[in-house]
Amino acid sequence: MKLRAHVILVGWLASLVLGLAACGGEKTTPSVCEGAAAVPVACTQICTPGYPNSCPAGFHCEEQKDGRGKCDANCSANDKRCGDDATCSAEGRCQKESIVFRILDFPGTKWIFLILALVMPLASILTWMERRQSAMMQDRLGPNRANIGPIKLKGILHFVADAVKMIFKEDFIPANVHKGLYALAPILAIAPVFIAFAIIPFGPTIYPHAVTQTLDPTLLAMQPNADMFREAIRLQMFQVDFGLIFYFAVLTLANYGGTIAGWASYNKWALLGGLRSSSQMMSYEVAMGLSLMGAFLVIGSLEPGFIVMHGASASMSASNPLNWLWLWQPLGLVLFFTAAIAETKRAPFDIPEGEPEIIGYFVEYSGLRWGLFFLAEFIEIVFVAAVVATVFLGGWQVPFLDADGFRIGGYVDEVTKVSVGGWYTPLPHGLVVALQFGAFGAKVLLLCWFQLMIRWTLPRFRADQLMNLGWKLLLPLALANVMVTALIKLFFM
Amino acid sequence: MSSSHDHADDSEHEGPLVLAVSDRHPRVRTIQVVRPEAQDTTYLAATAKGFGITLKHFAKNLFLPLKKLSGRANAGAPVEERFRNDIETVQYPEEKVTYPERFRGLHRLTLRDDGSTRCVACMCCPTVCPAHCITIIPEESGDTSIEKRPAIFEIDELRCVVCGLCVEACPCDAIRMDTGEHAKPVEDRARAIETRETMLARGVRSIATQGGEGPNWRATAPDTKTDVNR
Ligand code: SF4
Ligand code: SF4
Repeated sequence: MKLRAHVILVGWLASLVLGLAACGGEKTTPSVCEGAAAVPVACTQICTPGYPNSCPAGFHCEEQKDGRGKCDANCSANDKRCGDDATCSAEGRCQKESIVFRILDFPGTKWIFLILALVMPLASILTWMERRQSAMMQDRLGPNRANIGPIKLKGILHFVADAVKMIFKEDFIPANVHKGLYALAPILAIAPVFIAFAIIPFGPTIYPHAVTQTLDPTLLAMQPNADMFREAIRLQMFQVDFGLIFYFAVLTLANYGGTIAGWASYNKWALLGGLRSSSQMMSYEVAMGLSLMGAFLVIGSLEPGFIVMHGASASMSASNPLNWLWLWQPLGLVLFFTAAIAETKRAPFDIPEGEPEIIGYFVEYSGLRWGLFFLAEFIEIVFVAAVVATVFLGGWQVPFLDADGFRIGGYVDEVTKVSVGGWYTPLPHGLVVALQFGAFGAKVLLLCWFQLMIRWTLPRFRADQLMNLGWKLLLPLALANVMVTALIKLFFM
Repeated sequence: MSSSHDHADDSEHEGPLVLAVSDRHPRVRTIQVVRPEAQDTTYLAATAKGFGITLKHFAKNLFLPLKKLSGRANAGAPVEERFRNDIETVQYPEEKVTYPERFRGLHRLTLRDDGSTRCVACMCCPTVCPAHCITIIPEESGDTSIEKRPAIFEIDELRCVVCGLCVEACPCDAIRMDTGEHAKPVEDRARAIETRETMLARGVRSIATQGGEGPNWRATAPDTKTDVNR
């Protein structure tokens, strides 16, 4: 009985997938070259099969029986030959739109993928990594015991144990709290971080019809509408020119989470913690925004996807590590990273929390509500790592990996802006995408590790030291950085 | 006020500059405090130095084999001391530290040569016990030179404060705490009570025999400890 149920389930899933896949694809209609009263001139042209730009616009190369190619089209933009269920593509084929593509290209799908495949695993592992790593730095072992049967994984499963513990703890609400705000605060702390991930480009644009082939970037630059590049999925949810401003705007909201938690708790210490959180935000937020202005001046855009795809200089491939902003904005990198660590509210800037003694705004929280604050903090670490990787370390770019494969020592074509020549190894598009997504994950993980190192190396700043640092050091330096960058840009570039 | 002697003394030791010395207590002084301003403002050099230290520890502890735990991790070829890491953690159930000779562990009742208990139920130990955790009900021993022996001898290990006074008080060397064992974790309170039988089972013969020295119990004790650090 059980086996039969499994077979039915698998069969049902398989037919669902096949059915969905069948929705997309080509629809066969007769050629416009046959039986027409006035045969278009292009129908008589000879072309090379498999090389799409050898035919005029609106036509594609159809392979003949003798192996040679002849330009052909099944439809044109202004006739109704494809019917209602399909549209005419730029190469004169009737193309049905695939539901699978619609689903995959939906921002929500990308968001779920990013959160489930990268952010949540990383954030949960960070809760273990932080304890293990701090232990290693202090000549201890750290948690290495949690296990499911014989599976131990050096204690990684501690995050499962923690989650289970927090879920099953009593959801205690102290007397006299403001119930609505008390419940809202943890959500306000965690939701903006999830939203801010919308601007992060976590991979290149995928061209599903070309995954097995080596991509031709020149063709892509010249004919972006070619059938091969149809249904492109850009691995970024929210592509807007004000991307980084959006990040500042949204992530600042997370601070309200802390402040409101302090206010709603009906506890003087919590309130003071919340106030410390706001005052700290004041002192780093300005410097943080200004430190990215230099990057904006160099690149000319605040869109993270644009920054990753273009790099600082147009005369180098964007995959060249020397073209990433760490070299062009070293001061900006240091300033931004410092301010961003302050944003995560962790040591050396954990004044709002003061975990070891003064606690802070979530002193009245317990169980999963407290867990949300905690998780928000770890997701912020991942987010800061993702932003620094994207803006300063080339995002998803693998060193020397262009869209068509590894290339060292090439040059950038002036017209197409595509790097060509040099020592070159072709790679299929699918593999390139996988490598680049992996590279993004690796960079983010490395930066998370670096943040943990900082957190366990430095003691906490005093409040006045933080103000001094923010207003008297970071801010003037950020201003100077903007000035110097602008002057260099004006006179030398 | 400040004497020239104090000034000379301080400059010799390159201490802080003394501005004034109290009349009544020469050791109470006003000194000039100099803070290293250059380091305070940027924190970068200090951060980099500290980062180097923590990174060194992290890398060493991550990549080198454990110093302790001879069980699993270091099985096989022995690793030289300088290629071991610095981790000091004792992984408790697998490895245990050596307790000092006079560590006060679980009680035991020592035995006579014939295997009976040395305790004569004199009631010294329940009297001296500050936690009142020893319960003894005596009975006739049948031997007129001994007179009494304990019919019931119970120690509630949950109440015991491990002070060792019972051992001090015993005139017969009948009760000892030199087993080197902890009180074991139990799931209900009744099982934390040591009875005459369990303590006798843990007991071996006393060093003292009737009328003289006896064999060293440590030499004859069954090896109940798994002590990897020995
Ligand atoms: S060690 Fe102290 S508390 Fe424990 S039984 Fe002996 S006298 Fe009582
Ligand atoms: S153990 Fe020693 S002190 Fe306690 S009753 Fe027996 S003989 Fe007396």
